[in-house]
Amino acid sequence: MRKLGFVFSMSIMPLLVLAEPLAEPGPVQRPHIEVELVSEVEHVQPGEPFRVGLRMLPDAHWHTYWKNPGDSGLTTEMEWTLPEGAGASGIAWPYPERVPMGHLVNYGYGGEHLLPVTITPPEDLAPGEEFPIAVAAEWLVCEEICIPGDAELSMTLPVRAGAAPKNDSVADLFARADERRPEIVDWPARFDTSGGQLAVQVESDELPTDAEWTVFVGAENIVDHARPAETAQLEGVLQAGQPLSPYLGEIPDAMPVVFVDDRTGRAFEVTATPGSLQSTGAAAASAGPTEPPIGWGLALLLALAGGVLLNLMPCVFPVLSIKAMSFVAGAGQDQRAHGLAYTAGVVLSFAVLAGVLLALRAGGEAIGWGFQLQSPWVVGVLAYVLFALGLSLSGLFAFGNRLMGAGQQLTEREGVSGSFFTGVLACIVASPCTAPFMGTALGAAVLMPWPTAMSIFLALGFGLALPMLVLSFSPALARRLPKPGPWMETFKQLMAFPLYLAVVWLLWVLGRQVGADGLAAVLGGMVVLAFVLWLGGRKSRGATMNSIRHVALALGAVAAVAALGAGVRMQQSPGDVENAWWEDYSAARLAELRGDPERAVLVNMTADWCITCKVNEGVALNTDAVREALEAHEVVYMKGDWTRRDEAITAYLSEFGRNGVPLYVLYPHDGGEPTVLPQVLSPGLVVGAIESL
Amino acid sequence: MIHRNIQLFTAAVILVMSAAVMAAPQIGEPAPDFSVVDTKGKVHSLSDYAGKTVVLEWTNHECPFVAKHYGAGNMQDQQRTARNDHDVVWLSVISSKPGAQGHISPQRSDELTAERDAYPNAVLIDESGEMGHAYDARVTPHMYIIDADGILRYMGGIDSIPSADQDDIPEATQYVMVALDEMAAGEAVSQTTTRPYGCTVKY
Repeated sequence: MRKLGFVFSMSIMPLLVLAEPLAEPGPVQRPHIEVELVSEVEHVQPGEPFRVGLRMLPDAHWHTYWKNPGDSGLTTEMEWTLPEGAGASGIAWPYPERVPMGHLVNYGYGGEHLLPVTITPPEDLAPGEEFPIAVAAEWLVCEEICIPGDAELSMTLPVRAGAAPKNDSVADLFARADERRPEIVDWPARFDTSGGQLAVQVESDELPTDAEWTVFVGAENIVDHARPAETAQLEGVLQAGQPLSPYLGEIPDAMPVVFVDDRTGRAFEVTATPGSLQSTGAAAASAGPTEPPIGWGLALLLALAGGVLLNLMPCVFPVLSIKAMSFVAGAGQDQRAHGLAYTAGVVLSFAVLAGVLLALRAGGEAIGWGFQLQSPWVVGVLAYVLFALGLSLSGLFAFGNRLMGAGQQLTEREGVSGSFFTGVLACIVASPCTAPFMGTALGAAVLMPWPTAMSIFLALGFGLALPMLVLSFSPALARRLPKPGPWMETFKQLMAFPLYLAVVWLLWVLGRQVGADGLAAVLGGMVVLAFVLWLGGRKSRGATMNSIRHVALALGAVAAVAALGAGVRMQQSPGDVENAWWEDYSAARLAELRGDPERAVLVNMTADWCITCKVNEGVALNTDAVREALEAHEVVYMKGDWTRRDEAITAYLSEFGRNGVPLYVLYPHDGGEPTVLPQVLSPGLVVGAIESL
Repeated sequence: MIHRNIQLFTAAVILVMSAAVMAAPQIGEPAPDFSVVDTKGKVHSLSDYAGKTVVLEWTNHECPFVAKHYGAGNMQDQQRTARNDHDVVWLSVISSKPGAQGHISPQRSDELTAERDAYPNAVLIDESGEMGHAYDARVTPHMYIIDADGILRYMGGIDSIPSADQDDIPEATQYVMVALDEMAAGEAVSQTTTRPYGCTVKY
């Protein structure tokens, strides 16, 4: 522990090593730890590098430390004494564990572990010679208290020609050290320490996409180890941010950072160099106002693929599987007409929907895709429809009953028109799923000229219809479906549950829009709806009872609609937000602030149904680091909530070529050009942007 | 686009919220006041020493890093130099909670001071850890220098070589001594914040 970091030296007089009485072979016991010098091979081959290692076995709950020991540990050090001409590498550190010690966190190892080192012997060794290896090791071993320890360890290996056999007794130790050894990668990596935060950005297409990262900064005295790094990843860019230590030391020119994917145990070590982080994401490209973010061909292809995938959505799959069963029932007959009619139904419905959207936009209405879900009316009606469909699948009432909704009745009609209306129904039930799933592609579409835009919506519709169309044109495929039988009833009932889940999701969206009171009214309306459907499905005896039933039905239907109407009008008031430290967006206020040379402005356009927005707010915008930076630099934080349709926000988004959220824009104090921040934020990135104003 | 959505979900899943912040005192800002009883039963407050430079030394006699500096006489030398040459008030602080390692009776503490020939003005028994937390004292030894105006001038380690080996002391920079010299010369403290190394404080 003379100096920080790793030290090794080579003895000029190898014989002295053999004479050294303190060096001990075999395992050595020190307070609360056993240490041993081990070799991976049984003999030394001239010129051939081989591995040795320090095996450490602390008592249960005791630890030794990594190259960055964390807040209060000390790194293990080794000083080698080797025959002349031989060299030892640095320690190939396995990645550590986080070891909490009170309010501090150290990085270290518990249980039996090995710190491997590669030794390169000289070429001119002669077989028959001996190769002595000695190491002076120093460590700190801690539980609640810490005990520094040291040992002089040695071993002598014979020199032989030919490949050396592995030492079986330690093979497992080396294997375990290798499992935790980070892959040294040369991916471009930068770091930045502005804003009280170490921000690291790594770029590589080889980054695993669904990783759960734990980050270990390899340099001492840089970060506050008790506050773990936050990470965010987008399209080949990984960002990590960790608060700086209050005892920040000298900042190195090369920052080693280990990223461990907790899902797979894979680890990577990058060497980051100082430099400002690059903006990432589509936003950085700052597209012109009318330039769509992706090309037409790609959008078309994505729309088609998205349409096919929509078939599996919980709102669509139950409806379509029932339709598929009708093909099963009608197997043997020609189903092509049905398939075509169904496709026509889907595509036409999409055309109508897209036509309405494009016409509204052309007429100056500022709306984007997903506009359906910004209206509580639409969300409420969809919840009713899906709930009713679910109840019918559950068997509460039968398909085709006179009193059921027109769409249902029509779809049950025998013949081609029935198939057409199934297509229409598919489009309607698919729409709640399209917005979150296909939002970006459709956002691109809306920005394109109308014939192009229309073609994309039609591609989406065609994609949705495609599986059923293929089924109808291929009797061979249809025959491969399971034979009709009693299982179909069970299957039908089972399919009700995904629909109920879709209803839950819609009600959650509705709840965010209308609050608990409005939601309760709509839920009450759904109970009445269920009652009406149940009553409608029953047969009653006698004219009197029948009349009473009809009156009850009519009243119930009115009550259900009234409950929906009452519920959706109860919009949540924006004043509910507690302790708002931001201002609500308004164009007038923004213009006023931009005219004030004392004030800069950060605009955040967000929506409750936007997962990216929520993530960015959680990890970056709502952190103390960002709040402090906003205060320190006199930046007004404005938030626009697009959860419900808001024309002012839609107009603002389109100024930046956007059709969706999130959008983060930072205006400097002097009224100059605003900067668009990336779609994935880290605290360091936001703080950095604020500080560079 | 689908790909991007999946990645964003990944981002959502992997996020770790920041832990509660334990604020350290700031260099150049007023140091936190305290009111803690010493081994003789006398209460000491920072405000009692307005007009004097105060050095705070967190300690735990069983900690090998503390033992390094007391064993070599380094800590005692610094206490004498500080008090005699710089007219400093030197307060040693024990923040181990009752029952935890390093918690000792006032009598035992006085015995230790005598045995080790230590020379602090007083040894404060911070059983509640309130003072330790106010200063975010992490380890023993952990050193702070507060100037005559109550402004924090230094926080960090006792010296520049984090080890438990007495042989390292002559080679290490003794940060508190350097800072006191600089303050006496009317200069700015060159190293205001260093890595505090040692045993964790047993709150």
